[in-house]
Amino acid sequence: MDSEDDMHDANDVESMDDDEGFYSDEMGMDYYGSDDDVDVDFGEDNEGIKRIEASRAENNFIILKESDIKQRQEEDITSVSTVLSISRAASSILLRYYNWSVSEVHEAWFADEDKVRKTFGLLKKPVIQLTSSRELTCGICFEAFHRSSIRSAACGHPFCCACWEGYIRTSIGDGPGCLILRCPDPSCGAAVGQDMITMLVSDEDNRKYSRYLLRSYIENNKKTKWCPAPGCEYAVNFVGDDENYDVSCLCSYGFCWNCTEEAHRPVDCSTVSKWIMKNSAESENMNWILANSKPCPKCKRPIEKNQGCMHMTCTPPCKFEFCWLCLGAWSDHGERTGGFYACNRYEAAKQEGVYDETERRREMAKNSLERYTHYYERWASNQLSRQKALADLHQMRTVHMEKLSDIQREPESQLKFITDAWQQIVECRRVLKWTYAYGYYLPEHEHAKRQFFEYLQGEAESGLERLHQCAEKELQQFLSADGPSKEFIDFHTKLAGLTGVTKNYFENLVSALENGLSDVDSQATCSGSSSKNGGSSKAKGGKGKGTSRAGGSSKNVDSTGMWTCEYCTYANSKHSTTCHMCHHQRR
Amino acid sequence: MTSSSASGRKTLSKIACNRLQKELLEWQVNPPAGFKHKVTDNLQRWVIEVNGAPGTLYSNETYQLQVDFPEHYPMEAPQVIFIPPAPLHPHIYSNGHICLDILYDSWSPAMTVSSICISILSMLSSSTMKQRPEDNDRYVKNCRNGRSPKETRWWFHDDKV
Repeated sequence: MDSEDDMHDANDVESMDDDEGFYSDEMGMDYYGSDDDVDVDFGEDNEGIKRIEASRAENNFIILKESDIKQRQEEDITSVSTVLSISRAASSILLRYYNWSVSEVHEAWFADEDKVRKTFGLLKKPVIQLTSSRELTCGICFEAFHRSSIRSAACGHPFCCACWEGYIRTSIGDGPGCLILRCPDPSCGAAVGQDMITMLVSDEDNRKYSRYLLRSYIENNKKTKWCPAPGCEYAVNFVGDDENYDVSCLCSYGFCWNCTEEAHRPVDCSTVSKWIMKNSAESENMNWILANSKPCPKCKRPIEKNQGCMHMTCTPPCKFEFCWLCLGAWSDHGERTGGFYACNRYEAAKQEGVYDETERRREMAKNSLERYTHYYERWASNQLSRQKALADLHQMRTVHMEKLSDIQREPESQLKFITDAWQQIVECRRVLKWTYAYGYYLPEHEHAKRQFFEYLQGEAESGLERLHQCAEKELQQFLSADGPSKEFIDFHTKLAGLTGVTKNYFENLVSALENGLSDVDSQATCSGSSSKNGGSSKAKGGKGKGTSRAGGSSKNVDSTGMWTCEYCTYANSKHSTTCHMCHHQRR
Repeated sequence: MTSSSASGRKTLSKIACNRLQKELLEWQVNPPAGFKHKVTDNLQRWVIEVNGAPGTLYSNETYQLQVDFPEHYPMEAPQVIFIPPAPLHPHIYSNGHICLDILYDSWSPAMTVSSICISILSMLSSSTMKQRPEDNDRYVKNCRNGRSPKETRWWFHDDKV
């Protein structure tokens, strides 16, 4: 919408780069400006990035496969069972109640073992003494059974195997509550553990029970979650701090640990939920109706005018003919009112302010809708580009890599830079997408921030386009070539360089946005204090700009009275007449 | 049993039949105080007369409980309601539905009709006020076209009454 203006802004802002300190030197932002020479040492760079990535991943989260989950669960159960000297089934029940926290189980148990035993039904000895007769009556079906056919939990309440099976099966059918099953006797409450369940029910029910147990280990634990991607069976164990919530599953889905929405750095969780709400909210529809429709003056049905003249005819049965501008009956219109395409009544009334209130509301809604549409469209189109890039990445991996490896006679491992590039494109599209939600919520009145933001976003966009172009179009010639070509090495260098540079740029973009563009705030203070430190900073051998610019000695004196040597840029005290460093005379 | 009384419900399983016959036998020998089983030939629906306990708000009052048994009784809870007019009680709705946890979430197959009856009588006896639940009108309206109380997600108000 404002793209023309943005371009101008961008150019204006560019001049502040040097002082800004936003780009680190090796970021090679200049690269976007100079087309050809790729002088980035991509090999080393990539290594570095990978190392950082790996360490970050190690620090923040661990992806768990089903076997890992089982193993961890087993270990926790073993640990509790060993330390408390209780059965594994009992340990499992306790862990379930304490959300699989081994330390909490230990703490509660050693604080008051009897209380824990009582609360969770882990009895030490039976509560009822059975008669010594050979036959016992089942407490559910009331039939008499031989002792050997009767089973009991630790409490001793007797039930036959068939009733136990029915009881447990019903509980498993009801859901994960089966993990904390108690004796059927209403007054009892003795725990029924997995050991009994394994003995008493079918294999299928046992499988279901194990499934619930496994799920509980992830779902009842504050530090683990299932990957939300459809069909993905991995879980994530988050061990990081609340600085960075992005996790990426082995299934390649990246999501936010905190809100489980798709990964959304640099935008925070609350903005994402606002944005998602907004995208689906009825309120946007209402705004739309308000902005683009008017109620028929007769039947009050909202009418959208998409094109054409001001002469409106409401749909049957109403069929009222009216003027879109003044909403008066069309029969009152004609030459008298200024012709069919300009309604003087409306113009006059507008001047008198009669239409102001409703019109302004409509106007405002329309503006806000246009603003929203601007950001939404770009958000959505980056989303689409990302999907496309994901598909291309897949295609690259499954088809093109092998083909290219044949043509260029290089092992596929040497072509990894291509999939790396595509992965970077996918990631950049994601970041870029979210910058539009960021932009939508960036306050209108923060002009400097907006300008800076739009400049950064614009640069990011064009940088990404270059990378995308290179990975997509320039690759084609090598894919359709008959044999290896010399240019392929250049292509390698260029694409890998672009990948590294773009990655760097986006990482810096992300941190700048996460900092709330605080560099813009500090910029004002920077320029204010620059005169103070100017001397010393130049003296440290900065860019030497000041020296060449400085004409007379007065310009070399800053507010503290220090003067800068014209030859070596050393900042000398105001009393000295020769440079302390190079002994040149002060001029 | 007539098909109309068991409208749409499946007939009792063999296990359920056996168990109910045993319960009925036990009831005849040792009926819970204050209750009378009205003899019918329908094992799947019991109608039980309740007499308010002496010295309580409901003394000298008689109500009727209707108990319907599902196919997999006692693994599944029976449906227990008062046949209107239901007693005025903070946990009993005017359509006869009873808010009592053992009839729903806390049911256990080791419970019996007899133990349910005792719980209901104790619930009546401990009441200090003859009044309908606060949300009676809304609830009863929602239950039109014959919804079973077992389909309600009960929120058990308190365990004092």
